[in-house]
Formats: sequence, C-alpha cells, structure tokens
Amino acid sequence: MTSFSLYDKTTSFGSVYTVFIMNRIQVLYFLLIMPSFLVHPYMIWGILTVGLLSQINLFLLSKWFHSRYAGGYQGFVDLLGDKPVRILAFLSLGLLFIKIAVLTLGIGEIVYQYIFPSMNSNWFVLFIFLICYYIASQGMEKTIQFVVIVFFSTFWILIAFIPFFFPPTAAIHDLYPLFPTEWSRDSWRGILFIGSAFSGPELLVFLAPWLKPKQTILKSFTIANMISTMEYLLLFIASLFFFGSTYLNKIKFPVIDMIRYLQSPFFERIEIILISIHLVVLVFWLSIFLLYFYGAARVVVGTATKKTTRLGFLISWFMIVSGVMIVNEWFWKSGDKQILLLNLQIWFGAFTYLFVPVSLLAVMKWKGRLS
Amino acid sequence: MKQLQRMLIIGLIGILGMTACSPFVENNTIEEIAPVIFWYIKETGDGKLKISTLAPPLVKEQKRLLTQEVHLLKQGGKEFNLNYYRELKNGQLRMLLLDEKISKKGIRQLVNTVLTDPAISQRLYLVIVTGDLDDYINYQLTKQPDLDYFLYRMFKHYEKQGDINIVNLHQFMKKLYSPYADPVLPIFKANHDNFSYEGTALFKDDRLINSIQKRQDQIFQLISNNYYLKTLALPSLSVSLGKVRSKVEMALNHDYSILTMKVKLEGRIEEYLGGKNIRDRNQFADLKRDIISYLEAQSRDLLKDLQKSKVDPLQIGTLTLTPFSRPMSEQEWFRHWEKMQIKVVYELDIQPLTKVMR
Repeated sequence: MTSFSLYDKTTSFGSVYTVFIMNRIQVLYFLLIMPSFLVHPYMIWGILTVGLLSQINLFLLSKWFHSRYAGGYQGFVDLLGDKPVRILAFLSLGLLFIKIAVLTLGIGEIVYQYIFPSMNSNWFVLFIFLICYYIASQGMEKTIQFVVIVFFSTFWILIAFIPFFFPPTAAIHDLYPLFPTEWSRDSWRGILFIGSAFSGPELLVFLAPWLKPKQTILKSFTIANMISTMEYLLLFIASLFFFGSTYLNKIKFPVIDMIRYLQSPFFERIEIILISIHLVVLVFWLSIFLLYFYGAARVVVGTATKKTTRLGFLISWFMIVSGVMIVNEWFWKSGDKQILLLNLQIWFGAFTYLFVPVSLLAVMKWKGRLS
Repeated sequence: MKQLQRMLIIGLIGILGMTACSPFVENNTIEEIAPVIFWYIKETGDGKLKISTLAPPLVKEQKRLLTQEVHLLKQGGKEFNLNYYRELKNGQLRMLLLDEKISKKGIRQLVNTVLTDPAISQRLYLVIVTGDLDDYINYQLTKQPDLDYFLYRMFKHYEKQGDINIVNLHQFMKKLYSPYADPVLPIFKANHDNFSYEGTALFKDDRLINSIQKRQDQIFQLISNNYYLKTLALPSLSVSLGKVRSKVEMALNHDYSILTMKVKLEGRIEEYLGGKNIRDRNQFADLKRDIISYLEAQSRDLLKDLQKSKVDPLQIGTLTLTPFSRPMSEQEWFRHWEKMQIKVVYELDIQPLTKVMR
C-alpha cells in the first residue's frame, strides 16, 4: 500500500489558482438563487456596494497573508496559542458542517427538482460524496490543481445569458425604479444575502501554505472579486429583464428557469446539462471542505502533526455523509425548515466573512504590540 | 490487488444500479411511452374539466382522440394512462388549448399547474379556442393523421413571423404578474371542418374579457406584437399594403391625461382595385391621405376599446416609470388610463410596386 498523505506540500500555486479558487466559491450556490432574494432593481447598487466593501475586507485579509503567520497550522499556533486553536477548530467544524450541508442539499434540491424528481435525494448526497472522496484522497495539491478544470468548464456558462440582454426580452423599464424609493427590512435582508454570497475568501486562510506569491495576493483577490461581482450583476440584470421585478419573487430558481427557456437545435433540456456541469464546482469545493474537515478534526483531537491515515479520513467522510443525510431527512425535506437552515448559512456566511479577516488582523496587531 | 479492489467497487455500484435498489423509479422506454403534444381543456359545466389529447403522437399507428372528465389537470394525465396502453408523458407538451368558457372564469391556477412542472417547457403555447375542437379533430383525423404536429408547426411559424399573436407560457406569466401590462392570447375558432384564426383575446388579470376581431387585429399586430405585417389589407379602400414595417412611439404628457401615439409605417402597395390613378402624384397623395385617416381612426377605436375594457396589453403603463420616482400602483395607473385622451398620428411611406396600372 502506498502511503496516504493528504497535506503534503511539494509545490506552491500561482496567483491564477487563487483567482480561480476564490471566484468559484463566491459563485457556487448563492448565484443560483440570488435573483429571487434581491428582486428589486435597485439591488444592482447593493451588489456593487457589497462588492466594494468586500474589496476592503480582502485588503485586510491580504495583510494577514503578507504576515509571517500565514503558514498553516503552525502559523495559527504561533498567533493564537495551542489551546485557542483547538477550540476554534472545534467551532469551525460546526460551521463547516452547516456550510457543507446547505451547499450540498441546496444544489441537490435543484438536481432533485429539475433532473431526478423521482429519485430519493440521499442518493445524490451519496454519489457526490463518493466522487469527492476520490478527489480529496488524492491530496490537497491535486485537488487544488483540479480548480483549473472546474473554472474553465463552468465559466463559459455565462455566455448562455447574453441573449437575455437583447430585445424582445430586454426592455429598459424592467430596471425601473433604479433607485430605492423606500427601504424596508427585506432590503436589509437582501444586502445581508449579498454579503453572504460574497463570502468564501476567508476560507482561503487555510490554503495559505499552498498559495505562493504573497506579494500579488491582493491583486488576485481583486480580480476574483471583480469577476464575481460581474457575474452577479450580469445574472441579476438578465433575470430582471427576463422576469420583471414583480414576477421574479415568485420564482424559486430564476437562473435555472432562464436556462430552461433557451432553445438548442440538438437538445431540448439544456438545463440538465448545465446543472450537471455546475456540479463540478460543488464537487471541487466539497473535496476541499472534506480536507478542511479532516484537518480541523485532527487539530481538535490533537494529532495535527502526525501522519494522515486513510481510516481517519474515511471516518470524517462518513461523519459528514451521514450528517448531511440526517439533516436532509430531518430538516431539508420538509420545506419550512429548509429556509431556516438557509438563513442560518446566510448569517454565518456574512458573519465569518466579516469577522475572520478583521479578527485575524486585530490579534496580529495586538500580538505585535505585546512583543 | 488495487485493480481488483477498484473492479469490485465498480461492480458493486453496477449491481446497485441494475437491481431493485436502483434510485431511478420512472421508466422512459420509448416503446412504452407516448409523449403527447397538446392538451385541450374544456369545462363540462358541473365544475369538472374535460381534457383531450391525441395519441400516439409519434408512432405510425392509427391515432385516436382520448378524452377524460376530471376535477384536476394532473388527474387527467393519470386517467389517460390508465385508459391507454402507453404511458402518456407531458415532457413534449407544446400547446395548451383552452376553451373560451373556462378562460372567462380565470386560468391562473391551470396555467400555474403547467408552469410548476419542470418537465414542461416554458415555451408552451397558450391558445384560446372557441367552438368544439374535439369535433374538428375527430373529423380531420382520417384525412390528416399528423394534425397535432402540424398545428404546432403553425404556431411556431407565426411566432417568428408575426401576423398572428402567438404567446408562450413565460410571456403570459410575465405580463400576468406585471402591474402595467395585461396578457393577450390568440383566439382560434374550431368547427366541424375548420380551425381558423379569429383575433386576439384580451385578459384582465387572468380572465378573458374581450377580444380584438380580425380587422382591428391587423392594427394591433402593427402597434404591439411584431411591428411587422406581411399583408395589410384595407378592403374599404380597395388597397393591400405589403411588407409593412412599423415604428411606434408612445408618449404621455406630464399629468398622464393625454397619450400621443406616433406610428411610422413603411411598405409598398401590392394591390389596388380602386378607381384612382396611382401613377398620378395628386391622386396618389389622396389615396395616401385616405389610408392614413383610415388607420388613425381604426387605431383610435382600438385604443378606446382597450380603455373601455380597462386593459392595457400595449404596456402603456410602463411609460410612467422612471429611474428615480416611486412607481404608481396598478389601480392608480388604470384610473389614469380609463380617462386618458388619445391622439394617434400616422406617417406613411409607401410606393406602388408597378408602373403598369391604368
């Protein structure tokens, strides 16, 4: 049997990888449901504003990446101390699990609705995680390399939305009123949602050992953030054109429904193909999350510096799969609790994105003053 | 050793897939299903729906009209299956033909049922039918077995070209939910041996309330639908215009009391049976003036009719929207619309096509 090592570091990856990885987490799931949460045309400004705020956040995050603490487990221990790291790792296991569950079940819901309505959705969970197990067990480096395939196989889907920007679908009055005439709780909720949608870069903190050029990291962040903002704007404006504001909030998966409306001479249900392609992004991030989860679990148990074992990885995989299935059975399948879970993820997403860079930087500053 | 392990795993998954443990329940073997193209929905009077469809749609086999009386639309789909040796699938459903009577009561729920089915395309055509379509199909079936397919091709043809108002599910729903627009659908009339276009059905909310008949429907096509007519026939002036393109500009004044509509038409005279010598410049100008005043009067009448029915299929209400102001409510808009004055101005660029007249 060959040795089973997941977190080896033999090479480090250039700034293109950072762009791809960060951009794909930002557009993984919330992009698909975003239009029916934002609804009002003035949310175009919401997307732009949050995109800008996100840029500030990324600036703070890049400060941390430049510091000497950006070096994986040892870096965190240096910064925070051994005990706090273990406590934080324990907390992050929970957050990570919620994220995994919501992403898998959320996208699983789309697959269930449009592709396999007669299938038990647990099968989807099982199959997706089987693939993820295979990819993740190749180790962190190979998984990161996979992002190139992921990015190029999914980014082009945006082209499919260009027809919606031309008449007869596009009429400028669908974008009116472009500025908010009133501001309600829903608008705040929309902003929070966008904030959560842009979250994800904070997860790159744990990839720090593999991402090489620390000098250009802000540039990569900026490019990735710009691409994500552009994608959100494009899809949101296209869906406003296509549905109109009042009809939009009655649709559950606007983006998928728009794809369904497209015609191709060869194949009728394009959405089936495109959803399947989008699953590649899910597989990629779930594989990374599997590795994160196993890594965090090792930190909690206190075996972070020892060798990785296949058994340990399998156990953490099994915990996640059965956990997601249990969440699926108990919460997700009954629609009313589904929104609860989604809201939880919206709050946690926005919270961690805001909290992680700021607090890392604060601890760094505090530590610097101390020594 | 490792190879063996892998093969074992793949084999296991394969067995899982092939046996009763399979996650796939539905069967889509092509010999066992019949993907139908249309549903025709009618009301029986005692609160039931009467659904008809033609089967089988694809195979070379004697076709027959299947009819069911049911309470629910999907129940109809189920009853069909129990009565026919193939399972009827609705994944290829292209047309939903609705009887006039049921449309007058409101079709939102029916259409919603179709909309929520992911298997059914959003490009499904919605059509209103007056008269008895079952009768027509039964009679025609012997002469024309692929009737359902040809009907679909007809709708598809005119969807691109204009001339007839073809509306699909998505367009209908978007207008239904938009506060400043009311949906329209095409009306067809069916009897023993004919299925013919009648005009445009006007909807208030989801209820059919009025219709635009053929003569005025031409105008409606010009100012709203495709801005193109292959032939604009004006029998009262003995003239047919061909390849007519229109450009419509609508404007409201600041307090929404006057609507000005400017229509610019371009086309050519393809037929003239009247007494004027259209090679003569003065007489041609006379004819042109006649055409303009006729079109203006017709358009004004059409808009007045729309006002009277309190509908706004032309989406005139969207003119009140601006980037900054708060949009007015639907009721407020219709209060304005009902008592709005209408000015219609036509501009006409036409040429006679030949030099041999008179």
